Formats: sequence, C-alpha cells, structure tokens
Amino acid sequence: MTNLDPTRATDARKLKVAVLSFAHHHAIGYCRLLGARDDIELAASDPDGSTAGDAALRGADLARSLGVRYFPTYEDALAWGPDAVIVTAENSRHRGLVELAAAAGAHILCEKPLATTVDDAAAMVGAAADADVTLMTAYPVRFSSSFQDALARVRAGQLGDIVGIKGTNNGKVPRDRAWFTDPALSGGGALVDHVVHCADLLDDLLGASPISVRAVSNRILHSGSGVSVETGGLVTAVYPGGVVATIDCSWSVPENAATWGGLTLQITGTRGNITVAPFAQHVKGYDQAGPVWIGVGDDLDAAMLDEFLDAVRSGRRAQPDGEVGLRTFRIVDAAQRSVLTGQPVTL
Amino acid sequence: MNTLRVGLIGAGGISHVHAIGWRDLGAAVTVYSHDGAPALAARYGFEVVSDLDALFASADLVDIVTSSRSHRELALAAIAAGKHVICEKPLAATSAEAREIAAAAQRAGVRVFPAHVVRYFPEYAALKSAVDAGRIGQPAVLRFVRGGEAPRAGSWFFDENAGGGIVLDQMIHDLDQALWLAGDVTQVYAVQSPPSVDGIVPDVVTAHVVLTHRDGAISHVQGTWGARGTTFRTSADIAGTSGVLSVDSGIDTAVTMDVPSIGETDGYLPPPAHAESPYTTQLRELAGAAIDGSTPRVTAEDGIRAVALAEAAGESIRTGRAVDVDLDAAIRKEDLATENVSVTA
Repeated sequence: MTNLDPTRATDARKLKVAVLSFAHHHAIGYCRLLGARDDIELAASDPDGSTAGDAALRGADLARSLGVRYFPTYEDALAWGPDAVIVTAENSRHRGLVELAAAAGAHILCEKPLATTVDDAAAMVGAAADADVTLMTAYPVRFSSSFQDALARVRAGQLGDIVGIKGTNNGKVPRDRAWFTDPALSGGGALVDHVVHCADLLDDLLGASPISVRAVSNRILHSGSGVSVETGGLVTAVYPGGVVATIDCSWSVPENAATWGGLTLQITGTRGNITVAPFAQHVKGYDQAGPVWIGVGDDLDAAMLDEFLDAVRSGRRAQPDGEVGLRTFRIVDAAQRSVLTGQPVTL
Repeated sequence: MNTLRVGLIGAGGISHVHAIGWRDLGAAVTVYSHDGAPALAARYGFEVVSDLDALFASADLVDIVTSSRSHRELALAAIAAGKHVICEKPLAATSAEAREIAAAAQRAGVRVFPAHVVRYFPEYAALKSAVDAGRIGQPAVLRFVRGGEAPRAGSWFFDENAGGGIVLDQMIHDLDQALWLAGDVTQVYAVQSPPSVDGIVPDVVTAHVVLTHRDGAISHVQGTWGARGTTFRTSADIAGTSGVLSVDSGIDTAVTMDVPSIGETDGYLPPPAHAESPYTTQLRELAGAAIDGSTPRVTAEDGIRAVALAEAAGESIRTGRAVDVDLDAAIRKEDLATENVSVTA
C-alpha cells in the first residue's frame, strides 16, 4: 500500500508533518519528497540555522526556496499541531526535539544516529513510549530491494548458516555542514556517522545484537584540513553464535569523486555468499568536469517516508523503530570505548 | 649462460604452477616427492630422483612446494647442502622456524626466498608502484578480501598444528600485502567463524584480521574458505590522503564469455596467454636474485614477518584480545639460531 495512491490521498485527511531543523542536509530531500505529495501538509522550523558555523542555506531562506511553510521556533511548529515530525537537527540535539515532539503528541522520524549517548537514546525511546507515539530511526538502506532480496534469501536458508559479514559505508567528509566534524554536536566522526547504517542491516539480518565490539580509528584522511574527529575506522563485532562482522565506516571517498560514496554488505554463509551494493546501480560516463555518475537505484528515502507515514496513519509502530536506533547506537558507543583501549568491549 | 638446475621438492597442487614456470624459464628440473613425482616429471619433462641427496646433487637451487610443516626440515637440509631455497608460503609453520631457516641460510651464505606470489600479480604490483609513487598520498584505510572454495576436506590445510589454517595458509597473502603497502604493524585483532576445534579449522570458515600499522594506517583483511564451487575472488581497496585505488578480480576481467554451445564445437584451441603467469615472474626474479645476489621484492625477512603476523592473529583469535606485535623483534631473535639442525629426509 502506498500513500502515493491518488484515491487514498483524496479520501484521507492530509497529514501535517513538521521538519524540525535543517541542520542535516537530508532535511532538504525529505522536504522535496513530502512537498511533492498531495496527502501531506508540510511545515518546517530551523531556529538554529542562523548560528551554524557554515555557509549552507538555512532557516526561512531555505524553507522559502523549498516552498515550505516556515515557523521561527520549534514551539510554534508544534503548536501548529503536526501529526508527525521529522527531526533532522545536529545529532546531540535530537533528544531535546524528540522529547518536545513526544510531549506534543507527534509521531517522530529521527535522523540517524538516534543520539550521541546511550542515555539520550534510551531516554528518547522512553519518551516516545510514555507519550504513545511512534519513534522511527531514519535508516533508509534496509528499504533497498537488493538488501530485501538478500534478507529473504538468508531467511530461506539459501546461504546456509551465516558465518561472517563485511560492511562498508564510505563517503566524502561532510564539509558543507560544519557540525558534522564538531564532536560536541555530532558526537564524533566517521564512527558516529557511518557505522549505524550497516549496523541496522546486521540487526535486521541477524536478529541479534553483538556480544563484543572492537574498533580502531585514525585521523589520517583530511588531517591537513582542520578535521578534529576520526576520519577512518574499522569496527569488528562478534554476534551470538559466533558470527563475525566488520564495518569500514571511513570517510574515504575523495572530494573529487563522481559520487558521494556508497554502502556494501557482503554476507558469507556455509553455502555461499551474497554482496549487496544498494547505491552501485548507475549510469556512468564523462563530461567536461570529469567522470559522471548518475545513480539510478531505488529511492530509499521515499520508501522510508512511505513506511513512516503509513505507520502514522494506521497507528502501528514504524520500523526500524527507536529500539533499533538504540541497539545500533550501542555499537557506536562500544566502538568509541574500544578505540580508547584498543581492546574489545563486551556488551 | 649455464642452464639453471632446479630441485623441486613436492608434487602437490601448487607444484604445477611452479613446474610451468621452471619449464618456461628453461630450467633443468629434478623432482623429489613422496607422492606424484613421476607423473609431474612426465608431464613437464623433468627428471625424478629417489632421495634428497640425489636432488641436492643435481640442483643449484631448491624449490620447496610441500605442506607447510615440512618446510623447516627441507629448507635446512637444502641450506646445509649449500643450495639456494625458494619456499612456498608460509616460509615455515612458525615464526621461530622461519627465523631458524633464515639464520641458517645467512650462515651458509645462501639465499632463501618465500613465495609470496601476490607481490607478482600485475594488479597488486601496480598498486604497490602507485602507492610508492605517492599517487594517493599516505595510505590510511586498507581492505583486502580473498575467498573461494575451501581446500579438499580433511587435508593438512585445515590443521593449524601442521602449518595450516585459514590465517597462516590463505590470509598470509594479504597480511603480506598489508605489510608491503602500509608498512610495519604494531597491533593485531582477529576473529574467526566458526572457531577451530582442537586446532582443526571448520570446512567453511571466514576470518577477519584488523591491523594497526606503525604509521597509523589501519587494514582489514578478510579471508574465506567457502562452499564447494565458490568462485575464487580477491580484492584490495586502499584509501589515502589524496586518493583511492582498488582492484577486484571479479570485475576486472579481460574476457567475458557466454557461449552455451561451447562443448559442442571442436577445432579451436586457445592460444597461449600473452601475459606471463605471476608464478613464472616470481620464479624468474627469485632465481635471478639467487644467482646475481640482487635483492628481489620479497625476502626471507618478509617471510618471517608474515608468519609472525599470522601467529599474532591466531593468538588474538584464541584469546579474544587485541595483540601487540613487534615484527622487528621477530626477525632479530637469536634464540633458535644455534639450535641443532637435524635432517631426516
């Protein structure tokens, strides 16, 4: 069932959705997708935009360019009575907005990572439960058809027993938004930004959380450009039953690459292996500026928003939920602690 | 130039690529093996001898392609007979044995080279050249993948106490690559699934080894012995401060073929490949170095380092802890240099 179904859009009351903060550039994509739907009434608020330490378009100006109704404060946006909010603030500001939205009775889609501390993530899950609203974590990759196919094959036993998984989630260093590399706002660097997507896929695939996590990181990439957080990282997790998994979360895609980066997941079982690369499908070529990469894969954000809005309309719990966000953030937290000692952390 | 006289010890699976190499290089080869020597010799035009003394008498250089546990004894015997040695990887089943071989060769004034053949694969050699030339700046994050069908069930390859196991036998290729491309390693963390039982590796197994290099780079090495029929595939990805480089044997294939009726047509034999086998390139360079005293791209010290690194990975797998390593110390150790050398061939 899809909310793009025109009969549904006319039958149902429009859902009011407020985007809280434009700090994460994903907010722009969400606004464009939601703005194009006739079953959604969209508004946004970005009071911290004026104090961001970068030149990105923010606040009322960005809202105007996107054609989105704008509220100067979060309180104003919530007083508008949204059915749902999307929290796309700096990572460390997620908790405050989630608690505010839950108290206002709005369902919540929160950008990843859910928080920057385990305490914050747990408090957010608790706040949503207390207010009886759904809390969804923005993990779009699990909606890709390539991952869903791999998941179905694994569950059908085609790979036999899973023995190991290798995930890579590499991208360019996020430069357009200064907070990504400010640990007070981001919670850290590549470990915080790029472990959780693969961790979410592992959570879905294995149906379990790791029993130990060991990580190494370094700051060699972009070391000359004032980046003060880790830019390279390898996180190895052992799951119940002994399955081993490693995630390369490095910001290792050069600035002049033709695409932002990508994600791969190689699943090895006793009967064979599958590698999925949801962002690999593309048209390639060259133009005057160099290599061309035109991605043609699934629109994962659209699929994720479909799930969220359908859950909001039908009153069910959206997946991946806040619990997944909490479980996967625990891996990040353990990785950060492991980096300090070099030794594995038991969970 | 005199014909190179090679004594080949062993006639198992890996012996064929060595045999082809020696044949193509025009060497006069004598074979000694417990098993399979006559068939190998007949196929490649070699001579068979019935004991090591006869082999050493007919060779200037000895090429050891036996199971890993026998490397020490055979290499020490060849060295004692004054022969240069090329030895399949791992150089020995333990770093202590590898050190013993290297020390014996040094005392005897002969050369010993471990056959880390991946250094001779054109794409890996090109990676090394590009990294050394600074094309991607300082390496920061490296990934290596190697996987395919597991060796024959029940063979020594699965026996960690016989120089086997996925880390020492298979992943040593990429442990050596990581050392070659990103330099010395100070810490190792490794996991394996499923675990070995009493030193015997499961039929299908995967291991992940994470290396911290002295210069700060981090490497992930993944090895898999997979299900029967699994396509052999390797890849390497290197991210540096000013660029990235990658190779993938599954993608960079010069020929893509789809000919359903291929079995029904006769009368065509493919021409010999233009490219030289990396095994042949390796043997040419190592034999040349043995003769003229030059330094090839892989040395006995590299062989010791790789085995020591594999040992540290094994220790990490067993203990669940990250293990600090000092590979320079692994080479320097003299504790075994004076051990009595006994040969029972």
